[in-house]
Amino acid sequence: MQIGSEQVWLHMAQYNLEGCQSVDLAEHPSGIVPTLQNIVSTVNLGCKLDLKIIALQARNAEYNPKVCTGAKSEEQSKLAARKYARVVQKVGFQAQFMDFKVQNVVASCDVKFPIRLERLALHHNAFCSFEPEIFPGLIYRMKDPKIVLLIFVSGKIVLTGAKSRDQIKRGFEQIYPVVLEYRKVPQIGNEGKDSRDPVPRQLT
Amino acid sequence: MAEAFCPDCKRSTEVVFDHSAGDTVCLECGLVLEAHSIDETSEWRTFANESADNDPVRVGGPSNPLLTDGGLSTVISKPNGAQGDFLSSSLGRWQNRGSNPDRSLILAFRTIANMADRLGLVATIKDRANEIYKKVEDLKSIRGRNQDAILAACLYIACRQEDRPRTVKEICSVANGATKKEIGRAKEYIVKQLEVEMGQSMEMGTIHAGDFLRRFCSHLGMSNQAVKAAQEAVHKSEELDIRRSPISIAAAVIYMITQLSEEKKPLRDISLATGVAEGTIRNSYKDLYPYAARIIPASFAKEQDLKNLCSP
Repeated sequence: MQIGSEQVWLHMAQYNLEGCQSVDLAEHPSGIVPTLQNIVSTVNLGCKLDLKIIALQARNAEYNPKVCTGAKSEEQSKLAARKYARVVQKVGFQAQFMDFKVQNVVASCDVKFPIRLERLALHHNAFCSFEPEIFPGLIYRMKDPKIVLLIFVSGKIVLTGAKSRDQIKRGFEQIYPVVLEYRKVPQIGNEGKDSRDPVPRQLT
Repeated sequence: MAEAFCPDCKRSTEVVFDHSAGDTVCLECGLVLEAHSIDETSEWRTFANESADNDPVRVGGPSNPLLTDGGLSTVISKPNGAQGDFLSSSLGRWQNRGSNPDRSLILAFRTIANMADRLGLVATIKDRANEIYKKVEDLKSIRGRNQDAILAACLYIACRQEDRPRTVKEICSVANGATKKEIGRAKEYIVKQLEVEMGQSMEMGTIHAGDFLRRFCSHLGMSNQAVKAAQEAVHKSEELDIRRSPISIAAAVIYMITQLSEEKKPLRDISLATGVAEGTIRNSYKDLYPYAARIIPASFAKEQDLKNLCSP
């Protein structure tokens, strides 16, 4: 938890929810559910805080402005925020719990097939940035919802910049058909010929 | 002998042109009809074989449209013999102390030219890099950013736009202390800024292993046959599912081809020529090895030679 003078920033750490629940295809037409990895939220405690005193008196508190720890689901995030607010209260400040807001949600998932990043970058030039020398993943900046996706050759996708779980879901459902178009078909004995040449499309 | 109207004789008379004084004189009465005529013939003679440094027709450097007012450069010079005449020598000093609006631009262009020369780049790439830098400079938002990285990134982008990409490591080698990461960040920044300004004109294709192959091969002194084989192999390898940077793939293919040919190059030489670490080449070779039969053209190596290929 990062405590500034009034606002509290919470980063929630990794939590791998390996659930084998059946997927509701009405909700997730692709059949894949992205797993949340990180949630960043802020809350306003409503009073000025003296960071030195908190660092000295509270347990589990480190005054290191660069360090932050985090949480996994939005409810956990809120719960943790409340717990920290209580800690701050116990130290002696008049802390309130105002304006809890999730600022960033990060999720990851796997489409389970290799992807032709170069083709995707060529056809969706306006949204993609692919520099294999700099970073092996393709950076796709989706406009609606406004999220950034990191797409890798292996088929793993990281979605970030979302404000809610719903944005993550919508973003993924939008990118899934695109990524399907650029699926790498393993060529056994058939080299050099590439019949698939998807027509470039514009995603909103 | 020309004829002209003489006002004294009141008729058209014969007139002679005196070159030494520049006078047009009436032959009959001696009246000077025109004095101080301007000779518009050539002031000096130019010969074909004469040195090009002192061409009197030229009065300055080539005009550079990127500089303000085309780079006109008229300065008050020190008088000959340095007479110490207060007015004229001070004038020169005062003029040069005045701020030159393009000073930083000229310095930046000079740095880009230095880097381009070290890499042996042609003038088109140099000029494009200068243009890119000027556009970025106009936006003013690069104040305080790492200047070396920005210049290196301009050169990198210019190479990419001219379809002659240079690896970031190559640019690093001539850039003054900019790291790969910094150049990468500067490049992203410039592209984003210029896209906003100029629309979608920053079209740069993704890099391919084939773009660099010719150059790497020539650094290593490979034979033409080997170079052709390497190019074919790289082209075929693009269909395979190899998850490596294109440069590493190029290096691994070169390694494979040279191992198959007569002049085997050691890993260290390939590493130096391509900028890829030896360990990376070894790993990429490991990934490439299973497909050796598919990518190496049959005209270059037969099946048995491929079997001789050392297993990673």
